[in-house]
Amino acid sequence: MNPTAELVYLDYAATTPLDETVLEGMLDLQRIGGDFANASAVHPAGRRSSEHVATAAERLAGLLHTAPRQIVWTSGATESNNLAIQGAARQRAHRGKHLVTMPTEHKAVSDVFRALEAEGFEVTWLPPDGQGWLDPATLKEALRDDTQLVSVMHVNNETGVVQDIARLGSICRERNVLFHVDAAQSVGKLPIDLQQLDIDLLSMTAHKIYGPKGVGALYIADRPDVQIEPLFFGGGQQRRLRPGTLAVPLIAGFGIAAEIAAQCMQTDAEHVAALRDRLWQGIHDIEGIRLNGDLCNSWPGLLNVSIDDIEGESLLLALEPVCVATGSACNSTSQEPSYVLRSMGLSDLEAQSAVRFSLGRPTTREEIDLAVNRYRNAVAALRELAPGKVA
Amino acid sequence: MTVGTDPYNARVRALFAHPAHAGHLPGAVTVTNTDQGVRIELSASAEQGRLAAIRFRAWGCPHSIAACEAACAALEGRAVDAAGQFLAREIMQSLAVPAEKSARILVIEDTVRLLGAALQESATSGRQN
Repeated sequence: MNPTAELVYLDYAATTPLDETVLEGMLDLQRIGGDFANASAVHPAGRRSSEHVATAAERLAGLLHTAPRQIVWTSGATESNNLAIQGAARQRAHRGKHLVTMPTEHKAVSDVFRALEAEGFEVTWLPPDGQGWLDPATLKEALRDDTQLVSVMHVNNETGVVQDIARLGSICRERNVLFHVDAAQSVGKLPIDLQQLDIDLLSMTAHKIYGPKGVGALYIADRPDVQIEPLFFGGGQQRRLRPGTLAVPLIAGFGIAAEIAAQCMQTDAEHVAALRDRLWQGIHDIEGIRLNGDLCNSWPGLLNVSIDDIEGESLLLALEPVCVATGSACNSTSQEPSYVLRSMGLSDLEAQSAVRFSLGRPTTREEIDLAVNRYRNAVAALRELAPGKVA
Repeated sequence: MTVGTDPYNARVRALFAHPAHAGHLPGAVTVTNTDQGVRIELSASAEQGRLAAIRFRAWGCPHSIAACEAACAALEGRAVDAAGQFLAREIMQSLAVPAEKSARILVIEDTVRLLGAALQESATSGRQN
């Protein structure tokens, strides 16, 4: 890579930069003289910090159409997923030990289920169709009398495929099964109305929506059936569900990011959709290219493509200074082909050549044009270098 | 690969970006090898017992492509015998090939040796004819 070349960042599904307004809102909460105090303290400084937490909860709850008291702050979506899944499974274990999820979930979900399997829970892994979508009828058939929890992500982090969480939730509610949604990729990007949806637990994170890294939240529905056990012990904060000193600047930043997301959601979606379409138009005619997912049923800021006869790691290097992902960001140190794409029926070679372009609020048309140019040139160069087709 | 560090050193990046020996020599001795996630083709011509020209084509990771280029650059102009005794150890070190990829680079070593054997055989049959 030319060290002087400017980077073209197209990996917004992995993480986003801080919105300037969010940054400004956080800075005053860390300085001497600012509202830096422990939000659990009863003195005036503590109460001022506590107000920032309350405001953030109102902002996030407003985005999701729920009540602030139903928000539990965490360190991010991984912790939220762990708290929701482990907490619910263990709380309800006396009723039954059958759990349901999909193999296309993020590892922050699937690895939790694997750990629970090792503890003696039984997990049914529902296969997606070739587009990555879960047919609600498949879920309905999988539910049993001893099923306690279903976890399905809203927007897939690798393909952008959007699951029908409204239908899936209502199926679970009919059977009195808790429904958890990993919404790390959808909160602030797609409308979520928790008053209308049968969702019991919803995981989210700030850093996908121009908020700070290190803070997330878990929505817990206000229903008697929705009880979870804590993961951590050590204090009375957050109704003992997630004890520990609250990270007030991060929480406040999440709140501001949520408020901005609520205001910008429609324009953001239109912006990235137009650029995503421009990107696809620019590369769709390359011989052997394959779209992973479904443009009509996916979050519009994400495009995942595979290409015949191209080695994925070399493609990634040849694409520089365009920054994209091969698998999910959390999985990028592994050379294993994406398990999400393999679950959708792709061969190892197809999955290994996959590239995820994810666009964001700052993405420009010029960056997309450069990415198109780079991708076409990289594919051409690597094909010229290769000794014929790979079996 | 360690999180947060560049998986490729400057030499890998340079060789990957500018593989001067990429290509195919028509009519030359050619060997191919597919194993360990790489596919390598080497073609070479020999003159007076020396590797006059050597080219490669490769499908594989950046380390594999850079190693092919490094191997070709190291061998061109040397005696054909050198191919038969080729060791990839130095290339692996200079390219800082991670341990999990070392098998791929050994495939290149095998391919170079196959090429050396093929060139020797070609030379022998040429003398017999």
